Amino acid sequence: MTKEERLKKRNRAEKRFRFYGLTSILVALLFVVILVQNIFSKGSSAFKKTVITTEVFFDQELLEIQNGASQDEIIEADFYDIMIENLIKAYPAKDREEEDQLLKLFSGDAEIEIKKVFLKDNNLIGKTITLDLTASDDIDQLHKGNYPRDLPEERRRISDFQLVIYDYFVENKKISKNFNNYFFNNGDSRDPELAGIGGALVGSFYSILICLLLAFPVAVLASIYLEEFAPKNKITDFIEININNLAAVPSIVYGLLALQILLATIQLPRSTPLVAGITLALMTLPRIIIPCRASLKAVPPSIREGALAVGASKFQSVFHHVVPLALPGTLSGTIIGLAQALGETAPLILIGMVAFVVDIPSSPVDPSSSLPVQVYLWSESAERGFVEKTSATIMMLLSFLIVMNFIAVYLRQKFEKRWN
Amino acid sequence: MTNIKIKSKNLNVYYGDKQALFDVNLDLNEKEVTALIGPSGCGKSTFIRCINRMNDVIDICKVTGNIEMDGMNINDKDLDVVSLRERVGMVFQKPNPFPKSIYDNISYGPKIHGKGETKSELDQIVENSLKKSALWEEVKDRLDEPGTSLSGGQQQRLCIARAISVNPEVILMDEPCSALDPIATAKIEELIDELKKTYTIVIVTHSMAQAVRVSQKTGFFHLGKLIEVGKTEKIFKNPNNKMTQDYITGRFG
Repeated sequence: MTKEERLKKRNRAEKRFRFYGLTSILVALLFVVILVQNIFSKGSSAFKKTVITTEVFFDQELLEIQNGASQDEIIEADFYDIMIENLIKAYPAKDREEEDQLLKLFSGDAEIEIKKVFLKDNNLIGKTITLDLTASDDIDQLHKGNYPRDLPEERRRISDFQLVIYDYFVENKKISKNFNNYFFNNGDSRDPELAGIGGALVGSFYSILICLLLAFPVAVLASIYLEEFAPKNKITDFIEININNLAAVPSIVYGLLALQILLATIQLPRSTPLVAGITLALMTLPRIIIPCRASLKAVPPSIREGALAVGASKFQSVFHHVVPLALPGTLSGTIIGLAQALGETAPLILIGMVAFVVDIPSSPVDPSSSLPVQVYLWSESAERGFVEKTSATIMMLLSFLIVMNFIAVYLRQKFEKRWN
Repeated sequence: MTNIKIKSKNLNVYYGDKQALFDVNLDLNEKEVTALIGPSGCGKSTFIRCINRMNDVIDICKVTGNIEMDGMNINDKDLDVVSLRERVGMVFQKPNPFPKSIYDNISYGPKIHGKGETKSELDQIVENSLKKSALWEEVKDRLDEPGTSLSGGQQQRLCIARAISVNPEVILMDEPCSALDPIATAKIEELIDELKKTYTIVIVTHSMAQAVRVSQKTGFFHLGKLIEVGKTEKIFKNPNNKMTQDYITGRFG
């Protein structure tokens, strides 16, 4: 082979490699785009809810309370008759059968929505107000265009008569889309139009908080001891290998461990963020120790020597100089560990967080759901309304993860010292 | 007649199975500069690291024999290394200022030793240390800037100021100019000349010219053994040992 041929071959090899590399990146990007596009197109409609504009007249005869009633009286009072009387006026229905169909267009919470208005203003008796009442899931999906109306009636959840009412509402501009506050404020529900991630958000927050409080101090102290103080011998090596092994243990194994020890033996309350937090902390511990040790290792020995040479003790050289320098790397490692814990599902299923919990937990020992488990639960539900809710929850989860990773990168870039 | 500040007797150092120093007997005179020369890996740095017990950092390092400062046994297991290092400062091969402000770099030592209780006392220590290390004029208006933002030569003088700040008796310098350009080197050498009025200085150097310029006494190490020691003039003009002769004339090393 001549010199020129060799050179050509070398250049070709480089070009080939660049092409392969570029192709891999494009393929990866393509998958990300498909994933994000799929989630967005399915999930974005969940942030809006369909409401039906209805006139509500507060008839004294249908209420056992007076104007100026106290909050407790209102909460006790029955608004069912008021609701029925007003809702059936939304469309001129002919008989009982039609009225029933009309009522089914509204969400199961219509009574509560009317009551809430009265709670804010207890002087409404004898007056008529216009309210935006949440529509039922079927109407919601129909209005968002997620529900096919050209199917034969027997295969539809919406009857022909209900379609007529819907068209009447559309024509009279009585139906519109509002911001879906229920999605953020409510807990889980059997009715998709009322189901929200409020409970899951709070549950995830408590779990991650407990995970952070447990895992961070233990991981940091363990890393500092192993890296700076522990004698370099076989025992230390053995511990190091096992920490790396623990980081690779499938998360479901931690779930089994928690099931046996935390629930069966110690008898901590089931389905709670407390147990979830402890389980996630166990899982996250090695995942924080590894980056923490790496960032301690990255502090050049000359800094330690400089401190020792002016007469700092070992402890002072570590805590005055090495640890502050390793802190950005440690924090970003911690945040990434927590982000992984936030998205963890398998161990939580084992400790019973898949339970159907309607109430928003008020403390870490209340039964609760969490964001990834909520995704899992809703993805198994049959109702069409849960499809968009599943994707919307994934969007929320992803945005938390992106924010956390962004903070981690920012901390590293901004505060980590560059050497030489 | 000068006093002997540090005296080593049959000093042996081992790194694991490997012996790095063999029976070194070397006396260092007070308020004088002693230069240690020799090819790489000959044990010069190992020797000076025995004086402030910096070898303790290395797990596998073992030191036997005697090394005394003013009659105090440095190698004593019960000796408090913190107070030893307060008396024996050190400047390293590569400038290693803390990634903190110039002020904090110098005030750190006094702070941990409880010197300079008040802010004004600390200010005074910082100013004096910087003046002694001939850096004050260059940095007095930017004491809040990070020490790492200075040039290499300035960083090394900052490290000298840091060593001076705790008012030691001895300053060990491990090839302090090897990472510096000739102009910065000249400044450091000038500074060493000035500092020897107050401090006992030991300098490890690869530059024969530097040893001649700054030191009064020179020790030549080879393969962990102290081959020859004596007045600098004598070592460089008329060494007793053939190996010393060969090394300083550049025949090996």
